[in-house]
Amino acid sequence: MERGYWIRSKPVYSALVWQQQANAHLVLVEGSAGGLAAMKLFQQMLPQQSITVIYETEAGGADYTAALKKVVPDDLQVFNSHDAAMKALEAHLPEALMGLRIYVAGSEKFMWDIAQIVLHYGVDDADIAKELTGTLARSVYCVHCKAITHNAHTNIQACSGCGKKLFVRDHFSRRLGAYMGLMVDAEDPGQIPEIEEIYP
Amino acid sequence: MSLAFKKETFRDDYTYKNSVEAIKRFPFPFPEDTYMYSVNMEPHTKGPKGAVTEHTFDIDEHYVSECLDKAKTLELDPGRYAVLPHMMDAQWDFLELTMESLSTDYPHLFTLKKDGKNWTWENKPLSIKKSFVFGDVSTLDMDPFEYMSRQVQGDFVLLDQRNDTLYADAGFITSQADWSLNFDVGMAWHEWHGPVPQVTKLGVMDRALKYLMSMQLGAPVRRLNWTMTINPRLDTSPENYPLWGGDRNTVTPENVGKKVHLRVELQTLFRLPRSNGLLFSIRCYLINMEELSTFPRWAKRFHRVFRDLHSDLAEYKGLVKFREMTVQWLSKFDDGADIGVGTHPE
Repeated sequence: MERGYWIRSKPVYSALVWQQQANAHLVLVEGSAGGLAAMKLFQQMLPQQSITVIYETEAGGADYTAALKKVVPDDLQVFNSHDAAMKALEAHLPEALMGLRIYVAGSEKFMWDIAQIVLHYGVDDADIAKELTGTLARSVYCVHCKAITHNAHTNIQACSGCGKKLFVRDHFSRRLGAYMGLMVDAEDPGQIPEIEEIYP
Repeated sequence: MSLAFKKETFRDDYTYKNSVEAIKRFPFPFPEDTYMYSVNMEPHTKGPKGAVTEHTFDIDEHYVSECLDKAKTLELDPGRYAVLPHMMDAQWDFLELTMESLSTDYPHLFTLKKDGKNWTWENKPLSIKKSFVFGDVSTLDMDPFEYMSRQVQGDFVLLDQRNDTLYADAGFITSQADWSLNFDVGMAWHEWHGPVPQVTKLGVMDRALKYLMSMQLGAPVRRLNWTMTINPRLDTSPENYPLWGGDRNTVTPENVGKKVHLRVELQTLFRLPRSNGLLFSIRCYLINMEELSTFPRWAKRFHRVFRDLHSDLAEYKGLVKFREMTVQWLSKFDDGADIGVGTHPE
């Protein structure tokens, strides 16, 4: 990668920190690394306001349910599927009030799935604290057939829609929750550069 | 002014050509022998008679064929038109601005009659006549933004101003220089300019944003931007990159003059009255190297600019494959003489 060059549509994520100005807190975490990120948050302090934690566990990974039960005072909800965790989020939002702070730790797919859901309730993604944990896997939008392929670990990813070999760019759309994928051999058919894992 | 509209194509057999008059008024973008990005904005005031800036929106000999090409591109990929739901005021702003400008600037081609909110629009070149109620979408066949975007040359983006930035929240984009509306729609200013090289270092985008956010109603601005395209193709979208990307391999020393086109965008920006949004209009002009070099001053100038262009820009604009051949082809016009500052052809 060229030094000093940053595509400014690529989101920058940082460690979660409790927001002091809040009426309530909603924490959503995914997998082992997300569970640990939630634990780190409770190491900082225990806020005054009500706290809900939605924890999507990961099959085969470390499970922080027991540890979280000890520190989450009011409302810990644990799920072993992504759909169930997102349904719990949907169920929580209609009751939520202005001043709810949302914190997310997990893969990019997890955080942007959440961003799309909360957008329906008027919450801008800029108001969600996001920490990237567990994986650098990318969701890739095929600019040719418009399909989104999840879990791309390599610089070049086959499109799940049209099968084209897509070069995974750094250009990111928050609306789509995906990086742009552009046919890598459009100018010279069949000339595919070496495929490397760069998003482990 | 009377205009003969040419019947020509921007795809397949590529019959697009510029008349002698069209070449002479081409918006040549290089006042100096070198080029780098800058905040090169100026007031969009009435230019000299015959210039592309004479009127608010330039209607030229390619008008009818270009509108047909737009319709074709949109038909093949409906995603080239996108609008977020909160942009309806801006849509009507756009319809009003384009209808009023065209009917004032080209009364023999376009007319607009108003009786309160009951408006009648006539577009003679495209044989359209329509009565509708301003502000009532149900009286038009489609969104007001789509309706008039189909009837004005160029691409259009409606920008919403909030959170101290500009969001690209609607677009009608059929002649883009390799950016995707469906991907970029809803993005903030710095996000959709993310991939442009060098500009962060230069601070260009920060300054341009500040400038645009303080724009006032009735004081539009403009700038020129440029790239190059092989064949006179308007739809050089990333969506259709597999269709046109390979054209870059077809340039030979023999066909440089006809195949290699300078692509200039006349970009204009207007503050909109109801929505307080901005209209960003991107009008594309294409000229091949043969046509360009009918004015040797331009051939000399472009030879120098292209030869010395920063490699990041050449890479970003996709010019690397045919740069050497084109520079070589242009060099025969360049005697090295000082041609002074300015974009004039002679």
